[in-house]
Amino acid sequence: MFSISQDFAPPFKLISPFFILGSLFYLVSIIYIFFISAENLFILDTKIIGFVHLFLLGFIMMTIFGAMAQLVPVVLEVGHFGVELFYAIWPLLGIGTIMMVFGFVGYPMLLPFGGVVVLISMMIFVMEIFLTIKKIKKFNLVMKSILVSNTFLFFGVIFGLVMSLGYSGLITIDINMLLRGHLFLVIIGYIVITVMGLSLVLLPMFGLSHGFSQKPLERAMLMVSVAVLLVVASSFYPLAILEYSGYLLAILGLSIYFYFINSIYKTRARKEIDIYAKSLMFSYFSLIASLILAIVYFFIGTEEILLCSGWMMFFGFFAFAVTGHVYKIIPFLVWFERFSPLVGKQRVPMLADMVPKQSSSAQLLFSAVGVVIIAIAILLQDEKLIKAGASFLLIGVLAFVRNVFHMINYK
Amino acid sequence: MYSKEELFLAISTVIDPEVGFNLVEMGLIYDASCDVDGNAYVKMTLSTKACPMHQLIQQWVKEAVLKMANIKGVEIDLVWEPEWNITMADEHVKQALNRG
Repeated sequence: MFSISQDFAPPFKLISPFFILGSLFYLVSIIYIFFISAENLFILDTKIIGFVHLFLLGFIMMTIFGAMAQLVPVVLEVGHFGVELFYAIWPLLGIGTIMMVFGFVGYPMLLPFGGVVVLISMMIFVMEIFLTIKKIKKFNLVMKSILVSNTFLFFGVIFGLVMSLGYSGLITIDINMLLRGHLFLVIIGYIVITVMGLSLVLLPMFGLSHGFSQKPLERAMLMVSVAVLLVVASSFYPLAILEYSGYLLAILGLSIYFYFINSIYKTRARKEIDIYAKSLMFSYFSLIASLILAIVYFFIGTEEILLCSGWMMFFGFFAFAVTGHVYKIIPFLVWFERFSPLVGKQRVPMLADMVPKQSSSAQLLFSAVGVVIIAIAILLQDEKLIKAGASFLLIGVLAFVRNVFHMINYK
Repeated sequence: MYSKEELFLAISTVIDPEVGFNLVEMGLIYDASCDVDGNAYVKMTLSTKACPMHQLIQQWVKEAVLKMANIKGVEIDLVWEPEWNITMADEHVKQALNRG
């Protein structure tokens, strides 16, 4: 046995709760869909807002935070400032999310309390990342993206807290005015820019891609960042030109990002289409669908098109990007902890052996069909079709939860 | 003491658990030598700078060489120039990766 620095692979017991809780929140969000009726299909419906927070905070953010505990040292090339802080993040984020969801669906007084708990968890995360970034001597594009995305998250959470105080009636503010700023800061500013930055490292690493240009990604990130600033500015100075230039720049930036992803795909040496590659393919297909729907919304302006665009962005692009990476990150961490000390002493599994093939394929298939059916159901405002899609998604997410436990307990 | 080929043979027992090929056939080992006192030197790279297993892989290379008789120490020189690309891998690796 030899000692290995855990700078680049924090202990699995620190990260596993994020993936376990995240997958369970994903399951609960899908069950929640069965309780949504056609009359709830409006962006500002409290049931929808509760649902979106359950999914984004409970599943997407929870899993991203867990993944970042492992990925930050990999992409920033320095050890964490204080990786133990992650022990405090998941319980706070989990409790805060539950309180916020109950706050939205019927107990508004819980909202500011839940909001504060979520704020504390996210501030611990953001501060830990900032203090880790402080150790960097020379910045590259990925490092800049982590800095920018976490700065947006910092402000996005503050916007959210102010809004939760307004929802509960503790302060009087124009919630609608802050809504777009909050949405853009957290969703585009944090989640999308994080995904964009990480894809420069992770996609070439797993696909063994070389010889592609980073320029399109640089441009895409700049455009998306400026888009976030413009939309946030339009929250305070309600000028249509600011708001719409922001939307346009975001769509343009994401389209260039897709072009960049395609160039990585084309230059990859590893042609294997495993569950990771398939998940990302559906994820990027959903991104394109979401962007097309957003463009159509500008011309037609009906709310169901906007809702459908959001659905494809959240449950297509985000969810499949996250689940795809879970199939890479959990096996690595489990392998690192359980099998790496045995290398050279006995036969050890390959990372791909730890992913349940049939169950992960079932997860992908059922989830993808469910996402597409619900997208159509939203456009048609058809409640029965929503339940049908949710049934497919439920089978998919049950397989996902099973896969997470299978990989964690792999022996 | 040991030739480059002998050292490469020892290092070829180290397998990248992500792709399933050994480091030598992947083309990640650039050079290896050994002096008369048993001090070995390995010049190598990784497929990406962001490889989270970089510490482990270097450790495995060190251990694989140290298993050879009369080797007293191993110096690993991890370099990024020339940057690795798939053309450096053996033909069968390229074909296997290309097949998927």
